[in-house]
Amino acid sequence: MEQTQSKTIPPRAPNVVMTLARLGSFHQSRLSFMRILLRRMEAEQWTFERPVFDIDAQGMGRAVYTAHGPERSYSLVAFANDLPPEKRSDRVIATEWDATFTLFDGIPTPADLDRLQDNVPQQEAGRVTESELSISRANRSVRLWDYVVGKLAAGEQPDRTTVEKVGYLMRTTAVYGSGKFGAADREDTAERPEFQAPFQIEMLSVYLTRAFVMDLVEHMARMRAPDTAVPLDPDLRRRFGIGNSTGLGMAPFLLTHPALLNNWIAAREEALARIRSLPAAHMSEVDIFRNFALRARLHMQDWYSEHPVQIARIDALRADTARLLAHLDTAELSADHPWNRLWLWAEDALSLEGQELLASLLMEPYPHLVDGLSACMAADEAATWRIDGAMSTDRLRTLTRDIYRWALDTDWTAPEAQARVWYTSEEKLEPRLGDRHTDPVEPYEQPLCPGRDAARMYGDLTATGETTVAGFLMRHPEHRHIVRRAQIAARLPYAEIRDNTIAATVLPIDMLRMKLAFFGACHFDPRSDRWVRINMYQHAPFPHELGARSGDDWAYPFLTGAAS
Amino acid sequence: MTWSLNEIETLSRKAARGAGLSWGLAEEAGKAARWLSAAGLPGPQVLAELLIRNDGADYETLCPLEHSEGHWIATGGTLCPLISGATLCDSAARLASGDDLHLGRTACPVLLLPYLAAAVGMTGTRLTVTWNDVSITLDAETHIGPHDPEALNAAVVDSVHIARAETGELTAPLTPGNRGEMPPETARQLTAFARRTYAPATSESRLSGAGAGLTDND
Repeated sequence: MEQTQSKTIPPRAPNVVMTLARLGSFHQSRLSFMRILLRRMEAEQWTFERPVFDIDAQGMGRAVYTAHGPERSYSLVAFANDLPPEKRSDRVIATEWDATFTLFDGIPTPADLDRLQDNVPQQEAGRVTESELSISRANRSVRLWDYVVGKLAAGEQPDRTTVEKVGYLMRTTAVYGSGKFGAADREDTAERPEFQAPFQIEMLSVYLTRAFVMDLVEHMARMRAPDTAVPLDPDLRRRFGIGNSTGLGMAPFLLTHPALLNNWIAAREEALARIRSLPAAHMSEVDIFRNFALRARLHMQDWYSEHPVQIARIDALRADTARLLAHLDTAELSADHPWNRLWLWAEDALSLEGQELLASLLMEPYPHLVDGLSACMAADEAATWRIDGAMSTDRLRTLTRDIYRWALDTDWTAPEAQARVWYTSEEKLEPRLGDRHTDPVEPYEQPLCPGRDAARMYGDLTATGETTVAGFLMRHPEHRHIVRRAQIAARLPYAEIRDNTIAATVLPIDMLRMKLAFFGACHFDPRSDRWVRINMYQHAPFPHELGARSGDDWAYPFLTGAAS
Repeated sequence: MTWSLNEIETLSRKAARGAGLSWGLAEEAGKAARWLSAAGLPGPQVLAELLIRNDGADYETLCPLEHSEGHWIATGGTLCPLISGATLCDSAARLASGDDLHLGRTACPVLLLPYLAAAVGMTGTRLTVTWNDVSITLDAETHIGPHDPEALNAAVVDSVHIARAETGELTAPLTPGNRGEMPPETARQLTAFARRTYAPATSESRLSGAGAGLTDND
């Protein structure tokens, strides 16, 4: 369609976007890493095989799933375990799991598999090499697992509603990439086109894990009752995603990768700005949008949570989608910057969750405006990481006032302003969140509170006689960390969360939600304020279906009931 | 067994913090150990040696003081290369403009290289750093002249000179690798420093700090 750009809507301001409440309302979109991966694998006609599936009647054994791309192959190596219930924990303190995995760079030899068998089931306690790209593990959703095995063994299909209430048979409880426990660094593979976008290794690992889990449940039913067992109906099978349980370990990542955070948000905001800037919309584009809004409503109906905060938010979202669909019935959307008008309406009419859902929905009709932005989402942190010591302290003062205004306006002496402490526990070396006023953890505080640190730095900056940042930092090495952040955020506007990450009211799940939404996760189900369960790849085609079915059009349920 | 460079950086960062450096300096120390490892130099070993040497020392005694134009010394007698390195990197523009810098007595000078390489990266100006019989020129690559290996990894030298590089023939550059070596003793030393950054676990913190006590058998 010919576009005449009569006005350009700028991307939203970082002070609007980078609040925890809004980041914690993000949804998957065309720019989600799962969708980027499946679009690529479909376009490049990747092929898949299962060269090893050696699992006994107790569910113990190993399997290999290999994905062949245009230049390279990758193999998910899976180890299945028969885990007693008392050992089943989703949390990082666990030491055994129902299944463990690694993504191998290439095709493993039997010797590789033996080496991995000695290490991968131990996870953190084991050791891998530069041939391995990720390490992960998963636990069964016991109730659904036993139910599905029983049904299939008896020759019956499981009930759809029972399946959808949980949505997956196993949930991963950690997916470690980039150099963890001896694995290859991200830098080693970042130049490969298939891994250019962020987290493609992890998304591929999880995609193949879902295929393994579904094969395993059918296998276990066959082993139990070889004469009567049936496989899952293909349409019902696709309703199983792969779950994930994510805790605080993920939250610091957003603060320790400011350039990456910026690039994710900047790509999304650029996509939204491009669409809001369209002077007109074609009728077919409006139809696509309306169709996705209907599918989103279906998605909200299938979204369950027991957490009071999320229950209220899902209720609001359901009301939002109803309001949006009603508005679409009467809104004129062909001309006069229709999407911008719709957006401005939504800013008043919808909750934060509803607004951010709308941002995702608006991208659906415009692959040509959106999908290419996925190439801008990786980041070279090193490019903006070094401190510019020649910058004047005057300039740093101005930047600090601009970026951290909210923090300079905060009364940090109030107990609730810095009620929390991010620290690392000796036990599992994982991030935790403690209470500053009751737990003896303040001496171990991690630098994950940029607002408070910026306010402290600004205090010394207003008093200093030094004229350059180099001179200031020589006297105040304690501010080196936050000066670096301020200089990064000056160049990359979405690099910094502009909110209080140590307030009494902070919900760490907001940080997890934002990152998981970029992965492409949905069905966010917080289990507390600091860990969340999600579903990934629900409704997606399985590897053997990719090509026959769209690699991109699966992120919302299909309207026809049975997936089409 | 080799280590991923991310592992080396992470352990080194935590160790530097555990040894008392500020977070910002510790972050750069992690990058420094990583850079040296990738260059095939014993980054973690030298870092561990330095942290043991300076354990408990006051920042004020280790940081550079410009006692005369272009001459830096430490009030405690010996400059810390992690602090001086960061300051040199902050002074990248000054070095690029052609100012020579003379550092007095300096511990583990090889640790200055990653910082100077970063300064070169920011300004595009080639630098040469010398101590004892060691002369290293940094551009996009690292060229180490003929030297005694012990001098390269010296524990302390009396002076270090940094200047814009003369034009001329360079030795073959180092080839960066993607894995690092770390002797078990070094790993133990760095881990001991890193452990100081971890809060001792209590049963309450185990439950509340990570959130929830819900069953996972569902």
